[in-house]
Amino acid sequence: MSEDKNLKTNPVAAPAVSEAEKSDIRTPTSEIIRKFKKQRNSVIALIFILFLLLISIVGNSLVPFGINDYDYSAILQGPSGAHLFGTDEFGRDLFSRIICGTRISLAVGLSAVTVGAICGTILGLLSGYYGGFLDSVVMRICDTLFAFPGIILAIAIVAILGSGLYNVVIAVAVFSTPTFARIVRARTLALKESVFVQAAINLGASDSRILFRHILPGAIPDIIVQYTMSIGSSILTASSLSFLGMGAQPPTPEWGLLLSNGRAYMVTTLHTTLFPGLAIFLTVLSFNILGDGLRDALDPKLTD
Amino acid sequence: MLKYTCRRILGMIPTLIIVVTCVFFFVRLIPGDPARLVAGDQATEADVVAVRVQLGLDQPVPVQYVKYVSGLLHGDLGMSLRTKRPVTEEISTRYGNTLELTFISLIWSTIVGVLFGVWSGTHRGKWQDYLGMTSAVSGISLPAFWVGFLLIMAFAVKLRWFPTTGASSLSSFVLPSITLGISIAAVIARFTRSSIIEVLKEDYIRTARAKGLKEKVVIWKHAFRNSLLSVVTVVGLQFGFLLGGAVVVEAVFAFPGLGSLLIQSVNFRDYPTIQSLILIFSLQFIIINLIVDVLYAVLNPEIKLG
Repeated sequence: MSEDKNLKTNPVAAPAVSEAEKSDIRTPTSEIIRKFKKQRNSVIALIFILFLLLISIVGNSLVPFGINDYDYSAILQGPSGAHLFGTDEFGRDLFSRIICGTRISLAVGLSAVTVGAICGTILGLLSGYYGGFLDSVVMRICDTLFAFPGIILAIAIVAILGSGLYNVVIAVAVFSTPTFARIVRARTLALKESVFVQAAINLGASDSRILFRHILPGAIPDIIVQYTMSIGSSILTASSLSFLGMGAQPPTPEWGLLLSNGRAYMVTTLHTTLFPGLAIFLTVLSFNILGDGLRDALDPKLTD
Repeated sequence: MLKYTCRRILGMIPTLIIVVTCVFFFVRLIPGDPARLVAGDQATEADVVAVRVQLGLDQPVPVQYVKYVSGLLHGDLGMSLRTKRPVTEEISTRYGNTLELTFISLIWSTIVGVLFGVWSGTHRGKWQDYLGMTSAVSGISLPAFWVGFLLIMAFAVKLRWFPTTGASSLSSFVLPSITLGISIAAVIARFTRSSIIEVLKEDYIRTARAKGLKEKVVIWKHAFRNSLLSVVTVVGLQFGFLLGGAVVVEAVFAFPGLGSLLIQSVNFRDYPTIQSLILIFSLQFIIINLIVDVLYAVLNPEIKLG
């Protein structure tokens, strides 16, 4: 407000805006960043996610042991200086295996949700904008996909395609598509009636220009929030499928699979189930907290 | 009301037909020859043909479809390849267990979720809110199979309070229902909180406070009753997800329900059973959504039924 007043009442002073005052200028982006920074949890979550991404890139070459270094003299040992998280039933270092598993879990979560988000966004834009028959077909498909609760759809798809990580990615992508389609469609329907889109239509802008330059940017905040939230739940679903024996196959160091292997020894050793589960929990938690923070920061209705 | 309900039931029919058709094509979508997959690597040509006849895959697709649908209408879901018994029999012996587990989980998670949600919502921005919502987001992020293991370790192996597996007595339902309910309680808490926060902004809350009502009465009689609507919707929708979520939990506890049957069937490639289970899971989900919609209309006087 203050710079507004400055500009109006004292135009001469305007060019002399100091650096300090410049940082006071509120743009939509700076507002979002400011709101986001206020949520300390979300900032910590973001830092943790960046750290996980770093691990998934460089971790494999930094780990103290190879993921398949068998050591039969050190089977099922508890956490120690040499083996931070202990060893598994083949004497493999659990710490190294969990670090290397970061790449797998993030890759599965990110790729599945990215595919789901792209397909869902395109379907949502088209069916919201064109309406009519296309809209009914797309929404009917979404209804059908929604009729299979939770993980059941993913299990059904894996049962058709066979076990394996790639099929889990496909299953989770299919599973997350309808949510994106619904969200983007709702936003498209609202924006289609807005004055600036009507103006663009009257100016003779092409459909693709209207969709991608005028409507899509308006839907981006919704997509970002849903994207972040979906990554958490996708990692959870994917690791559940691996746990059930339908995803990653041994000796892949996938977290859900590590946990499933650990169950046979859980009566005697806790660490084989404790650490892989903790890895899944912390990763999913940080994506969910980040999603919450982004939702609050991107929602213009929420004021403090 | 009746008219609205009838219209919703009629509106369900296209979805039902599509779901049944999808489930029918399920076995036909499997790449390669499902009969050969079922028969196994060592099977002779005669075995494969026998399996193909057993699955009904030797007939033209439209004939198969008509047979499948008429079977469904007669309550015939085919034969299990694993146990060689009718699928309906396999399912009916386990259905009660899953339903019971789901109900127990839903009841405790609704109570806990609502209490946490109201508590957080009425203390917005304070430590209570912070604690409640941190627990809730953690609850959503917990892998059910991990929680299950930790509970088994603590309460079944170390303390020996509850059995590790099975569904023989009521005490064997305790650990699975805790595991299953955690994420649901968390979701319900989050929804209740935001709904309470919205309602507390209303004028009638200010009026209630202004006329000197006790805060307890304001919260439970005025605020909570008005936020009940969105809570009912969430609880109803979560019921469907619980039925799906039961799959993982049942696998952890070797619980004799539909979920563990599904896992066994997938591992055995018992297609008739997989097909029937997926159909049952989605039918339940569709019916629950219908009930929630009707309930929502009953509870919300603002909705005009025309």
